[in-house]
Amino acid sequence: MISSRWAALRAGLRSGLEEFYAGPYRATMRRARREEDDLFMLVVLAEALGVPDPAAYWSAELLPATYEEFHAWHRRIGMESSPLDHVGCC
Amino acid sequence: MGPDTADGDPRLVLVSGKGGVGKTSVSCALALREARAGRRVLLVSTDPAHNLGHAWGTPLDDEPRRVLVDAGHVDAVEIDPARTVQRHLRAVGESLRRLLPERMHGPAEQHLELARDAPGTHESAVLERLAELVVGACHPSSAYDVVVVDTAPTGHTLRLVALPERLTSWTESLLANRDRSERFGAALRGLGGGEEHVDRDAELRRVLVRRRDRFAGLRDLLTDPSRAGFWLVTTAERLPVAETQALHTELRALGIPVQRLVVNRRSPADGAVLTARRAVEDQHLAVLADAVPGVPLTEVPLLPGDLTGESALAALAEQLA
Repeated sequence: MISSRWAALRAGLRSGLEEFYAGPYRATMRRARREEDDLFMLVVLAEALGVPDPAAYWSAELLPATYEEFHAWHRRIGMESSPLDHVGCC
Repeated sequence: MGPDTADGDPRLVLVSGKGGVGKTSVSCALALREARAGRRVLLVSTDPAHNLGHAWGTPLDDEPRRVLVDAGHVDAVEIDPARTVQRHLRAVGESLRRLLPERMHGPAEQHLELARDAPGTHESAVLERLAELVVGACHPSSAYDVVVVDTAPTGHTLRLVALPERLTSWTESLLANRDRSERFGAALRGLGGGEEHVDRDAELRRVLVRRRDRFAGLRDLLTDPSRAGFWLVTTAERLPVAETQALHTELRALGIPVQRLVVNRRSPADGAVLTARRAVEDQHLAVLADAVPGVPLTEVPLLPGDLTGESALAALAEQLA
């Protein structure tokens, strides 16, 4: 443990110490952003997921920019294949 | 009618009231009066059961058509939500096709079909088209001096005018979500994090900001007494009067000004039946005046004949002066 930290520190010293300090924070930031993005995805896809969305008319126009991420999203929330019959991303 | 004219009335007038009290006739007569005074008038119907075309004796559709030329003129539109939904989903479909690989095109189309049939879509489309027509026509550089909206009966109209406020908060909360996501993304980049969503973030933000600006524009217009106001039409009968009071209360709660009450089809004191009827009407009117204080009230007598065509509408228009 100590020796691997030491090895990391030495590598960090060579590359300006960045990795050593930034690594753990990066993971936190990535997770926080992913949570925001997942919430957004849920709003945009509500109608397709069976939650009546009174604003479906408006959320449809947000679809193009989120569609691509749909695959990564359903894998992340624990569904192996696409939960939507008509979205055959995998 | 406009803030630049003598009587100080607003540029946008929404005519509302219970079904069957004569909203369409009053809207048309008002449009006619304004056109005769030299103003350029846009007359819009949001009622799914459109009657404007019948009143002017000419077929109308979703684009403004000239129905009257006098000193000014009247252009009339009957909003067709199906056409707006069609146009909206086609535009979304186009950007989906542009962004997605070929094999995803079919599924994406199917997905959009869900939005077409979602509850609220019809209403959203009416609002979209109304916002487009009204905010455009109320702009200082527009080709119109006055916009008159013949609305659907009370319930529809209340939901419709409450929507811009609700949807403004809806887009605000989504924008706040995008703010947070982008801040985390920026922090991640600062920490040397790799994968990038900058294009997507910019696109989502652009769509949301455009949306919020449109809703906020309509909300600001509807709640500005110097630019917009409601005319509530009623008859001097128990149920229409009760509904008018309720509508007035709801509009006040939404911060939307009520500028005039029009009591349509007042019975003349002529013959035993009508005289008795008029006495009953007087009681209902007293209740109304009490419940809605400080709003000018115009009484329109019962008129002979059908209120269709220019000359009949002119007879009604004289009563509104």
